Amino acid sequence: MGLPGVKEFVRPETLDQALELLRQHGERAWLIGGGIDLVLFAPQDAEVVVDLGRLPLCYVKEEAGRFAIGATTPLREVLEDRSLEGYMVGVVPQMLHQVASPLLRNLATMGGTLVSANPWSDVITLFLALGAQVVLSDGKAQTIPLENLYPARAHRGTILTEVYLPAPAAGSAAGFWKFGRTAFDVALLNAACLVRMAGGRCVEARLVLGGRPGLGTRVPLAEKVLVGSDLGDATIDRAAEVARESADVRDDRRASGDWRRELARVGVKKVLHEARGRLPGGER
Amino acid sequence: MRITLAVNGTRRTFDAHPGETLLELLRREGYVGVKKGCGSGDCGACTVLLDGRAVNSCLVLAGKADGSDVLTIEGLSQGGALHPLQEAFLDEGAVQCGYCTPGMILAALDLLTHHPDPSEEEVREGISGNLCRCTGYTKELRAILVAAAKMREARHG
Repeated sequence: MGLPGVKEFVRPETLDQALELLRQHGERAWLIGGGIDLVLFAPQDAEVVVDLGRLPLCYVKEEAGRFAIGATTPLREVLEDRSLEGYMVGVVPQMLHQVASPLLRNLATMGGTLVSANPWSDVITLFLALGAQVVLSDGKAQTIPLENLYPARAHRGTILTEVYLPAPAAGSAAGFWKFGRTAFDVALLNAACLVRMAGGRCVEARLVLGGRPGLGTRVPLAEKVLVGSDLGDATIDRAAEVARESADVRDDRRASGDWRRELARVGVKKVLHEARGRLPGGER
Repeated sequence: MRITLAVNGTRRTFDAHPGETLLELLRREGYVGVKKGCGSGDCGACTVLLDGRAVNSCLVLAGKADGSDVLTIEGLSQGGALHPLQEAFLDEGAVQCGYCTPGMILAALDLLTHHPDPSEEEVREGISGNLCRCTGYTKELRAILVAAAKMREARHG
């Protein structure tokens, strides 16, 4: 039996109904998008499964360059959404092609992915670099930066309904890199960046490393090397070296911390070169 | 709980435990072409089409499928005639022990339904969630490309 402790499976039609179920059942209620992590990790205290699949939250919308993705949108639908190919030179589908398998992408939802906070998550690493924001609702909607979502447990009692990718600022570009044993396996390390140039100088840099094995987190010392620079080869090499030295990496059963430290250097170099190559003509 | 599924085109109502998976329900009801492998979404032996998209049925809670169309390998042939994917797997020798075959074929069906003319690389990605421990992937890859050509031909007459 998948989850013998589950006593009830409910599928609310509206956000209000879902919130009411959360209030009613408290800690015994588990929200699911695709439900993958619930089945995989089978928490003992899950008694009431609240499937959000019938809420009207399955969409990808663009408005003035900004994208809104509904929480129950399967990763496959995000991947196949043609309009996202025009966002930051298609960095979102580039990343999603590397997430798990098509079978899992058909099931996994955007909201579930963000809330599950699996530390190797490619989605979270890239979305942190892009400056994504999430909308949480406890009846009243509140928009917060994705980095403030974690630890997600702190937001119990609310439902994540939407994630925003901000409209790209002029002169900005992004890159993403994943290193895993196979196309299907989770990342041993992943890296993402967003850089913004103005008048030949880097005015903003967001550099994120994930699967360290901890959740995606920014690398401020390496970002500092980039801001104010011309983003030349020497600067990129120096930022990669600083990332190697300062990255918060550890051993786990998949890879050693030393190996990850070297991957951090390579990953940072790769994503910065990729982003630089994608800058609009005048800033390249 | 009672759930209604259209399995292989036939609408049926089942008694399900609220914590059981679609895989468990389908096998209990006799759809044993759906295989249990890893139980963790890694091997793809339990692949079925849920509303036309291939999923690991070991990770889908049965309640989530309520009201949906489910296609298992048993529902793929029509009036005794094999589907072009099944024919191609036989013709190309892409079946050895056969345990991964139902899942592999259904994952390929999802791919070909949405990308009728895939590149070799796209086929590789399409079956990247389906493990074969006998033949490797060369023959499966060829079979899927052959089936794709046949299906395109049938579509365009």
